[in-house]
Amino acid sequence: MKGLDTMKRRLVCGPLLCLAVAAGLAAPEARAQNAAWEIGAPAPEFTLPDTYGEEHSLADYRGGWVVLEWLNYECPYVGKHYNSGNMQGLQREYGEKGVVWLAIVSSAPGKQGYHEPDEMNSLSKAKNSAAKAVLLDPEGTVGHLYSAQTTPQMIVIDPDGVLLYNGAIDDRPTARLADIEGATNYLVAALEEAMNGQEVSRPTTQPYGCSVKYAR
Amino acid sequence: MKPDGTSRSARHVSAALLAALLAFLPVAGVRSQDVDDASPHSDAELVAEVISVAPGRTFSVALRLTMDEGWHSYWRNPGDAGGTTTIDWALPEGFTASDIQWPHPRRVEAPPLVSYGYDDEVLLLVDVTPPDDIETETVTLAARADWVVCEEICLPATAGLELTLPVTAGPVEYDPRWSQAIGASRSRIPAAAAGWEFRAWRDAAGFVLEATAPVSLDEYGDGAYFFSSRASTIAHAAPQPAVIDGRSMRLSLPASEYLHGPVTSLDGVLLAPPGLSWPAAEGNRALSVGAPVTIGPAVAGTPTTLVTALLFALLGGIILNLMPCVFPVLSIKVLGFVEQGGASRAGVRAHGAAFAAGVVASFLALGVALLVIRASGTLVGWGFQLQSPAVVGLLAGLFFVLGLSLLGVFDVGTSLTRLGGLMGPSRGLGASFGSGVLATVVATPCIAPLMGAALGFALTQPPLPTLLIFGAIGVGMALPYVLLSMRPTLLGRLPRPGAWMETLRQVLAFPLFATALWLVWVFGQQTGVDGAAYLLAGLLLVALGAWMLWRWPRSTASGRRYTLSRAAAAIVVMAALTVGLRGTKSQAGPPTDESWQPFSTVRLVELQARGRPVFIDFTAAWCLTCKVNERVVLETETIEEAFRERDVVLLKADWTRQDPEITRALEAFGRTGVPLYVLYTGDAARPPIILPTILTKETLLEALEEI
Repeated sequence: MKGLDTMKRRLVCGPLLCLAVAAGLAAPEARAQNAAWEIGAPAPEFTLPDTYGEEHSLADYRGGWVVLEWLNYECPYVGKHYNSGNMQGLQREYGEKGVVWLAIVSSAPGKQGYHEPDEMNSLSKAKNSAAKAVLLDPEGTVGHLYSAQTTPQMIVIDPDGVLLYNGAIDDRPTARLADIEGATNYLVAALEEAMNGQEVSRPTTQPYGCSVKYAR
Repeated sequence: MKPDGTSRSARHVSAALLAALLAFLPVAGVRSQDVDDASPHSDAELVAEVISVAPGRTFSVALRLTMDEGWHSYWRNPGDAGGTTTIDWALPEGFTASDIQWPHPRRVEAPPLVSYGYDDEVLLLVDVTPPDDIETETVTLAARADWVVCEEICLPATAGLELTLPVTAGPVEYDPRWSQAIGASRSRIPAAAAGWEFRAWRDAAGFVLEATAPVSLDEYGDGAYFFSSRASTIAHAAPQPAVIDGRSMRLSLPASEYLHGPVTSLDGVLLAPPGLSWPAAEGNRALSVGAPVTIGPAVAGTPTTLVTALLFALLGGIILNLMPCVFPVLSIKVLGFVEQGGASRAGVRAHGAAFAAGVVASFLALGVALLVIRASGTLVGWGFQLQSPAVVGLLAGLFFVLGLSLLGVFDVGTSLTRLGGLMGPSRGLGASFGSGVLATVVATPCIAPLMGAALGFALTQPPLPTLLIFGAIGVGMALPYVLLSMRPTLLGRLPRPGAWMETLRQVLAFPLFATALWLVWVFGQQTGVDGAAYLLAGLLLVALGAWMLWRWPRSTASGRRYTLSRAAAAIVVMAALTVGLRGTKSQAGPPTDESWQPFSTVRLVELQARGRPVFIDFTAAWCLTCKVNERVVLETETIEEAFRERDVVLLKADWTRQDPEITRALEAFGRTGVPLYVLYTGDAARPPIILPTILTKETLLEALEEI
């Protein structure tokens, strides 16, 4: 076959060289940001303490579904989903289906959304939160791992530890309570599709809300 | 903590509570127009450029937002955080209001996030058109505005606003107080400028936006910025390095992490570097951009119109006949013509046409399949059918059987040959059609290198042009045969049929075995040595079945023996299929060559960030051109030495099996298939070098000199 290949190479070299050289000249330069997470890839591992001092590792929950929720109780966008009962409703509904729901606070000490563990517990109680745990990430390490931009921001991880969704909770980027009704809830869509063995049709959406108050 | 988040919910509790709450809020100043709310740190009011309204005369109104120092409101795309501003109008009957005309925003940086917004004061313009007759003496424009202001923290705000203006029959009088501010705001609204052109394409990191100005942009340097109107398109916080070359400027726009699905256009605002305005844009600093996104840079030589694309496709189809993939089929086709020497002219023509129909129909079918699979959201590219080990295994079996048949090991009558369709004209038109189909199926791996650009173009087109291009490739490939069958004088020059034909027939079995061998090797690349062993065992069983048919032919075997042998052969063939398919379950081990690392986008970005030169080999086991390039160029002493000398990191993107990440990367370079060779020099400001599909040591060494 070698002879044939050489023949072919000679035959097509002319026009192709012109084409490819031209393509090379016009090729753009590329630079991308480097995210630790990728849809369809193993979700970045982490271990964080909760508000009771207990440590939670993502690996502990392998074998079950996991939802991560970026939380800042003072953020009005988070308020929209807590004051309406929307978030707690989802926490209960999927908690009953065995989904492990972890809320993560990446606010740095002194910034909005940061509270000492006891204070956080009473806030969660007042809000009637049904998250399995509220994890404290004051250094923002885990927030940066998942490039959490806003509160709220939602993550879905499957029983094999694979990241299936990262993005907004729904399609109405407002802080208006009235916008909860009639919104398409991306988190619910992703969970329902994934738990029924289907592919998640929108695996990423632009998250909306307050910026996560990271340490500078 | 500031009393911010609480105000939002309070509003929904009760008016009494609201009133109580308002007393404690640090309200900067509540305008008289605010009927039900105010926001700390920002105020809203409606202002008009006119002091009276005339019937039918459009005028500008603005939602004027003023923010405390350090606080921002947001553009139509707020960027990484924050929220946009909306206005719900309640206008008198017959009045209409335009959408908001947004002045260009500025980047609000809060590392790692970047938002798009305004500080201090912004006037969001709306054109209001009154009806042709107004019966009242005054008109009241009412609106509810919702906006968000953020400093370190965010506050949503809402206000019910009203603006009452008298109606006049005479000329419209402008309000000196606001018409100037509105005019200033209007000058910040991005404009479409004459003589500017925009286009965009995907690259490995995201997008490239190219702006072509009517004059040179040399003095513009760095600092131009593109604001995308849509979220989840570009990474808001990423730098946008610019390359300026005469009248054109290219901005590299890394894709948003939240980008999902195709982007057909980049829409937004191109802002000139601080202190500059764009040429030929009447002093405007902001240009409105609507750039169609193609999958790769449109380059000289790439067919950009349908006609040239069709021409390329036709030419490519003709050249395809000389490709090693097609050659075995071609040789048998020639044999067919030789056998036709004595046949009637009309018969010859009919067979030529049937073959052509087979080729064209299969190309169309491949086109349809590719379109359907792509529409379903799966990433596929050229040669996709050979990414399935089952298809490769079956093809290997088919070529093996046809080879045996040519050798005369077994004579299968018409049924099987019609399936393969290789046996020439005496077996009917269906066979000619079938040989066209087979020729196409095995030709596809050779198409990508030749037709990469044309196919890349085809797949960006709507279905009809795409199919036309596929059809043209088929027509091109079938053309020589059709011409041959149409020209009796040519056929007349072919030698007369005779005993030598039997020899030729047997000799031609060997190219078929060679093809089968190649397919087994491809299969082995996909499934490992175990998989290949299973496939070979399957072929052995096929040979056993073939031998049974040969040992007990219909003409001599007794009835019972004949039946038994046929049943046994059927069982053996079933077993062959089972064993062969078992092989597809095997997995190839990791590559043993240590100088090459597997490709991944993350790895590439990481290496680029460290300024390392990178060479990427997009390849597949079933791609002959790739393998030839690797043997003749990449794996030679000279080249390996040159790579080592310059410390080039070698990445191999192996597309032998379906891999969405590699398909996406290929797409980013405007390709639908392999091979593709890309060299990153390590200098982030320089575009990667795309090397010719047919590599030579000289071109590669020359490119390496650039490092």
